[in-house]
Amino acid sequence: MKASCPRLFEVEASRDGRLTGAEAARFQSHLAACAVCAREARALQAVAEALRSPTMVAEGDELHVRRERTRLLAAFDASLVPAPRSRAQLWFRSAAGVALVSLLGALVFALWSAPPAPSRAPGAAALTKAPEPVTIHADSSARWSRRVDAGLDQIVLESGALSIRVDHSVSERRLLVILPDGELEDIGTTFFVSAEAGHTTRVTVQEGSVVLRLHGLPPLALGAGAAWSPPPLPSTPPLSTPAPSTPPPSPLAPPTPPPAPARRIKPTSTATPAARPSTPAPDPAADFRAALSAFNSGDSARAADGFAAFLSRYPRDPRAEDAAYLRILALQREGSPATQQAARDYLGRYPRGFRRAEVEGLLR
Amino acid sequence: MISRGKEHAAERDALQSTDAELMRQLEAGQVGALGELYDRYRAPLRSFIARATGDAHDVDDLVHATFLAAAKSAQRYDGRASCRPWLIGIAAQLLRRRRRAVGRFATVLAALQGTLQPASDPRPALQARSDVERALAALSEPKRITLLMAEVEGLSCDEIARALEIPVGTVWTRLHAARRELRQAVDIEGAGTP
Repeated sequence: MKASCPRLFEVEASRDGRLTGAEAARFQSHLAACAVCAREARALQAVAEALRSPTMVAEGDELHVRRERTRLLAAFDASLVPAPRSRAQLWFRSAAGVALVSLLGALVFALWSAPPAPSRAPGAAALTKAPEPVTIHADSSARWSRRVDAGLDQIVLESGALSIRVDHSVSERRLLVILPDGELEDIGTTFFVSAEAGHTTRVTVQEGSVVLRLHGLPPLALGAGAAWSPPPLPSTPPLSTPAPSTPPPSPLAPPTPPPAPARRIKPTSTATPAARPSTPAPDPAADFRAALSAFNSGDSARAADGFAAFLSRYPRDPRAEDAAYLRILALQREGSPATQQAARDYLGRYPRGFRRAEVEGLLR
Repeated sequence: MISRGKEHAAERDALQSTDAELMRQLEAGQVGALGELYDRYRAPLRSFIARATGDAHDVDDLVHATFLAAAKSAQRYDGRASCRPWLIGIAAQLLRRRRRAVGRFATVLAALQGTLQPASDPRPALQARSDVERALAALSEPKRITLLMAEVEGLSCDEIARALEIPVGTVWTRLHAARRELRQAVDIEGAGTP
């Protein structure tokens, strides 16, 4: 006959955290003295250990894992970029837009036909209609200019405020706002930027994201809903948290940049992958992370060198395509003339790479 | 030599981003962060999904779906040191939805055929497995997932209840039934095999 204990059920209850502090303590005392409960506890533990033992689940070969990794990253990348609209969708949207504008026009006309001459409120923002796909609203005091090249749409803001909307589904041209003390790169789609007295005073992003690169500071990515304004203390680096209030643009004294460039993310090692002493077992993951860390901290020159070294040392690594693409971005940030060649190298090496469209856009 | 080795190890450790940092980078849309997470957790996640589904044909798709869902909800990451339990929770939710979808499809199919067939019989694929794996595969999927989350992944009953969106009492019940069935099956099969 099997021995039993009335508290046997508490073994499992204890294991699953169903016993509270005092109950658990009392049961532990009982467990130490009861052979039946102790045997049950060992049996449950044996079940757990059997489940944790290495399984015979088919893992797939290395090539399969690499293919799956690339497939995942491509899917993620595609999810970041809005899918291009079909002609039918564009036609339908255009027709709907025209109909809506006509309706609004008729409505406005009907409302304004009663007073003799509708007048705009003094000080209202002047509207500058730019050619599609970029729409720019400039305030009346804004001093700015625009230059459109083959692959680059460059807006130079000297002072005042601009509200910009970019429709990337229509054009793949890169948009860059040159600020008195840096630059702002649009990743899409709607944002506001202002500058006064030679300094950027505010950036807010309504949709998409932008990268703000101010002289002497690391690049700052701002997503939808985020805002940037100059820090109250000159030595404090900017934060990407939404600013609750807008500082008045003109009365502010121009914030002086910190004497030494402030970095939010500092790489913990100063050794570049290329400068490292040769080790018996190369570690591609560490080398990639070192280059990526430099990239994220704004040290574009070191990042470009690191990715180049990575590509030459591990051309078949699954991260090689990422490295090739990030190298292009690093060189571009540096304003290096090698950017174009790096882009051509990428397209030659990965003719069907998942960053192909963007890299081709850089070459146009 | 030893000090240099230690130096390299320390350097690697320092360069290794934490999961929380990777999640922040992922939230900002950095593809590299997702690659790093994939390298860290693909194997345990794939193992969990494969065992939970009885090594179904769409394990890789479920792994992908889990990472993509994690990337999409990166801003909701609670900042814990390891994101493995969080990924397991997402995978469990996906498995739950998949099971419901498969169940609905089976119901429709049965209505068309006039007879209700079981959704799948994993037994033929399990011949080469260990007794424990075979017994695990014989459990119902809800019990199997709950047991794996508790005993292999180390999630608490409360965490499992939140991930599966079920009462914690249901988690306890499933665990108890799963352990009982597993122990019975292993004992029976163990006695019957040479």
